[in-house]
Amino acid sequence: MEQIRHDQINETIYYEKMENGLDVYVLPKHGFSKSYATFTTKYGSIDNHFQIPGKDPVKVPDGIAHFLEHKMFEQEDGDVFNEFANNGASANAFTSFERTAYLFSSTGHVKENLTILLNFVQDPHFTDENVEKEKGIIGQEIKMYDDNADWRVYFGLIENMYHNHPVKIDIAGTINSISQITKETLYTCYETFYHPSNMLLFVVGAVQPEEIFQLVRENQAQKQYGSQPEIQRYFDKEPIGVATPNSVREMSVAMPKVMFGYKEKKAGLHGKDLLQQELTTQLVLDILLGPSSDIYQKLYEQGLINDTFGTDYSCETQYAFSVIGGDTPNPEELVKQVTEGLEQAKITGISQKDFELSKKKKIGAFLRSLNSIEFIANSFTKYKFNGTDLFQIVPTLENITVEQANQRLKDHFQMEQRSVSMIKPV
Amino acid sequence: MAPFLPHLKLHFRLIENINWTIMEITHFPIKERKILNQPAFETATIDQMNIHVLPTDKFKTTTIVVQIEQQLKEETLTLTALLPFILKRGSAKYPTTKELRQYLDSLFGAVFYTDVIKKGEKQIIQLQLEIANEKYLSDTSPLLQKGIEFLGEIMTNPLIQDNGFSKNYVRSEAEVLQNRISSLVDDKIRYANQRVTEEMCKEEPYRLLSYGKAEELSQVDPAQLYTYYQQLLAENPIDIYIVGDVVPDDVKDGIAKHFKVKRNQVQDLPFAPIQKKVVEENLIVEKMKVGQGKLNIGCRTHTTLVDDDYETLLVYNGILGGFPHSKLFVNVREKASLAYYAVSRLESHKGILMMMSGIEIDKFEQAVDIMKKQLQLMKDGTISDQEMAQTKATLVNQLLETKDNARTIIDFSYNSQLSGKKKTVEGMIEKIKSTTIDDVVKIAQKIEVDTIYFLRDEEGN
Repeated sequence: MEQIRHDQINETIYYEKMENGLDVYVLPKHGFSKSYATFTTKYGSIDNHFQIPGKDPVKVPDGIAHFLEHKMFEQEDGDVFNEFANNGASANAFTSFERTAYLFSSTGHVKENLTILLNFVQDPHFTDENVEKEKGIIGQEIKMYDDNADWRVYFGLIENMYHNHPVKIDIAGTINSISQITKETLYTCYETFYHPSNMLLFVVGAVQPEEIFQLVRENQAQKQYGSQPEIQRYFDKEPIGVATPNSVREMSVAMPKVMFGYKEKKAGLHGKDLLQQELTTQLVLDILLGPSSDIYQKLYEQGLINDTFGTDYSCETQYAFSVIGGDTPNPEELVKQVTEGLEQAKITGISQKDFELSKKKKIGAFLRSLNSIEFIANSFTKYKFNGTDLFQIVPTLENITVEQANQRLKDHFQMEQRSVSMIKPV
Repeated sequence: MAPFLPHLKLHFRLIENINWTIMEITHFPIKERKILNQPAFETATIDQMNIHVLPTDKFKTTTIVVQIEQQLKEETLTLTALLPFILKRGSAKYPTTKELRQYLDSLFGAVFYTDVIKKGEKQIIQLQLEIANEKYLSDTSPLLQKGIEFLGEIMTNPLIQDNGFSKNYVRSEAEVLQNRISSLVDDKIRYANQRVTEEMCKEEPYRLLSYGKAEELSQVDPAQLYTYYQQLLAENPIDIYIVGDVVPDDVKDGIAKHFKVKRNQVQDLPFAPIQKKVVEENLIVEKMKVGQGKLNIGCRTHTTLVDDDYETLLVYNGILGGFPHSKLFVNVREKASLAYYAVSRLESHKGILMMMSGIEIDKFEQAVDIMKKQLQLMKDGTISDQEMAQTKATLVNQLLETKDNARTIIDFSYNSQLSGKKKTVEGMIEKIKSTTIDDVVKIAQKIEVDTIYFLRDEEGN
């Protein structure tokens, strides 16, 4: 058991790698009644083309990682929710582009709940019948997202940006793609991606680290896992530019919605470089378009934006892009003014004063997020999978310079990398 | 910006997110987040304002919430709705929003927002600030007093022009609010909830949106609004909550110094939500361009959080539709594969239980049948020992979990303040644990279906 101390924020994290390759982290949280655990595989909706070590490459139907996530809860003797409920725990799971996480929170019986979590995720039970039954449920999940204009405008943007990359595929797939899923394809995915060496367990809250490690060691020792060579994941070559510069979709909404953003020309960042780029771009977006910026205030005064307006930056090894937008009476005008503002900023540059203010704000936001044990577990896992560390955020932020921010501003906001997605009222 | 939401096994998280945002569905939170009394709150009265301080070193930030209570009623609805949004735009000291926002940034990005919410038949203005605790910063200038001073400035020293609020801010925020009201339709789950509420409570104030009436917003006069605000500050109940690693006396001194308001005789606003006996079950079908049907069944519980059987209602709701082990989830989703979400939620300031599900449009009758059948099973007492045990365990757990979030701690305590019924977490746990199936059946006899609402596509009948 290794101990990693973060003095400034007064947190200590404990780490151990299990013999089968599973990474386990424990963060005891003083004063909390609740504990929260996530058991995450580095496997998401983008991993649809891969090679099981020693076998031929396979391509699987869209939405299968998410489908698998739903089906893991089914056990031979019933639904695993019942076991959690007996202990008063709340369980859930989610699938993103690059991860699938299983989780619970509870104020008692932490060890029992952790055992249930480890055991159900490591014991799939798929039958033809239970796979068929899930298609109706996920079908309604897909339809719910189809009617959700915020989701559609966001996903429309990603579809516009990417030619080939599977990030453009909706996480849940389509009614048609999930109809092709069988228990055999589920097992193929499971056996490839649910090996402990591809997974991370994070436990945070009212816990004693040594007790947790003891439990996990014993639990894992009872299970047989051969060693697994590295998983090969295949991605088609992605052209630099965007696939479509703009798109418009009609839905039953009151006011138009727009999201636009800039696709990075280069992907492939990992570790420190990825974190540095993510934080620098977020600072730039906040300085230029955050609520304290001139552009934001000007747009608000004109009634072009309201508090749904915001920015976001997604930075992963495979892809990276910014997102800007919200509800607006005039999406064309909003995009025009923001784009002009960004072009102008490239000329005038970011001032030292604005830069320092934004940094302070971001450090405050980080501290605030540490109040949430759910945030800690989910973000820590995400950063680890990208080869970096959640607790490097503040030190990395402190080292970013205004020159780097100005360089990022010029590199990121390039007109030919921009795409616009709009939803208009029917 | 709507953050990226990964796809979840359960819909619960989505609804929870809604709970923290803006629309009226906050009244159907996933968890009955009104469960906990914090005995550690120190309460004092300064200038007839109630100050509640909870010192705890659990959090790395300090949360301050000012709540101004008003009766939910037509006459003052729109004026009350507009106030928090005007206040957040600027004050005498920070006349432009940019100056105000930059000052917040300089306080390590203090998060400041204002809102107006509905709890039962009360309309509540909230001013909230969350500010870092300097203990965890390399820069150690004290932030708490600055935070208190800032909120005091916002509340007591607004930007005034010609004896009224800034015309510009009034006009601009009225427009924002109008848009917010009209865009309720963008989110079909929230929209369905508001529509069923309007239909159920046609004659009751609870039908009103906390954001006021769109047609009245453009008519608001800045001077008249300011006069109303002064009256509100003088006469209405004000509660200020502070949770964080703070010394109560410092907080009280800060508030005495920075929250100077002219108070007259403060009104006592009674907790008396209208309870209506259902005469006839109502069916409303509405058509729109949608792919999925949204089914809501609104019920009257005739039980609110001041009643002795409130905890039994929590158990009832838990067995019916609060959790993934509940009857609605098991029967609508898992057995019939009809839906991704099938839940029930309580609004206990008013006495409403809402069942909600998103279904295939041609499955309307089947879904209604299954949902009504679950209500009948509850009435018949067809409840297993396992359902009882799981529901109690999960409720107790949720009760305890609310202690780990400053906002839920405050929300619970404020619910007690509003209803006048003091509750303790231990007391509630005891009552939940001692609930019997017979008790649940008694509650079930009180539950009446009021309105069935279905939002569907434009085809067919």
